[in-house]
Amino acid sequence: MTLIEFADLLYDSELGTSLRESIYAYPIVEGIHLIGLAFSVGLLFFVDLRLLGVFLPKTSVSALFQPLRPLILGSFAVTMVTGVLLFVASAPKIITLDVFFYKLIFIALAGVNALLFELKWGKRIEEWEFEKLLPKGVQYAGGISLFLWSLVLISGRLIPYLNYK
Amino acid sequence: MLVLELFKYIQTSELSRFVGGQNHLFGAVFQLIHIVGLILILSPVTLVSLRLVGLGSLREQSLVDIAQSTAKFIWIGLGLLVFSGIFIFIPAATNYYPNFAFWAKFLFLAIALVVHVTLYKKLTSIESPDLLVARFTAVLVMFLWLAVAFSARFIGFV
Repeated sequence: MTLIEFADLLYDSELGTSLRESIYAYPIVEGIHLIGLAFSVGLLFFVDLRLLGVFLPKTSVSALFQPLRPLILGSFAVTMVTGVLLFVASAPKIITLDVFFYKLIFIALAGVNALLFELKWGKRIEEWEFEKLLPKGVQYAGGISLFLWSLVLISGRLIPYLNYK
Repeated sequence: MLVLELFKYIQTSELSRFVGGQNHLFGAVFQLIHIVGLILILSPVTLVSLRLVGLGSLREQSLVDIAQSTAKFIWIGLGLLVFSGIFIFIPAATNYYPNFAFWAKFLFLAIALVVHVTLYKKLTSIESPDLLVARFTAVLVMFLWLAVAFSARFIGFV
């Protein structure tokens, strides 16, 4: 099955059709997607700024990050699920857009960055989190995350605009 | 129908016609600035609300510190929202007039701002406010700002 056939299959599915045809379902799903974004990327934004050392420098990284982690991950899941639903509703159009694939690449890169951070720094957080100046690698990870998620946001918001060309 | 007259006047102004006559990507730039502005408000409000609720080890952090260091994001966000919002609004002002989501959004926004400069500001200037009042405020401001975001998202669909 080609990507186009797969997209058509999703589009014609019961789920895809009902999302498109309902007056309220689509905007509600989009609204939840946006709110999920504010909780996931929005809160992550502060964690990244903390890693860069510009936000609440006197608070330790784990004191800020630990309570936020379940919320960030949970709302990230919500954003993913609603994102898949939005995709299903208009898959054949979206797969013709370069910007959609850029968005997926940026998300994947942000995921790799987070994973590398977790493996290299997250496991021994107590060794460096109280240092006045955080290690360069930690700062880079924060900056890269901030940069990539901004690109995800920008490319995501451009999807409907390039859709109506 | 004074407001409608005003909206018509705004829409036919030179600037509005100039903005409206641009490529649709021109509009997309303002939409982008708009969403960045919204996230700059929602994220600090969420973080401070979680602190007010007393989530996990956030409880041990200074409320005043968190509120003060996030305050500038809120005002920058609001500035970006107003700036980009004007450019989104003016080329199609009369289209927004019959849109109930548009009016709902500004109603929620007005209430959110009033609560922000009164209750929220007062509460986050003291280190350990009454927990019940703090939780009530957290739920209220979250509800109001999410209502702003949600009704705004509905504008394009009704």
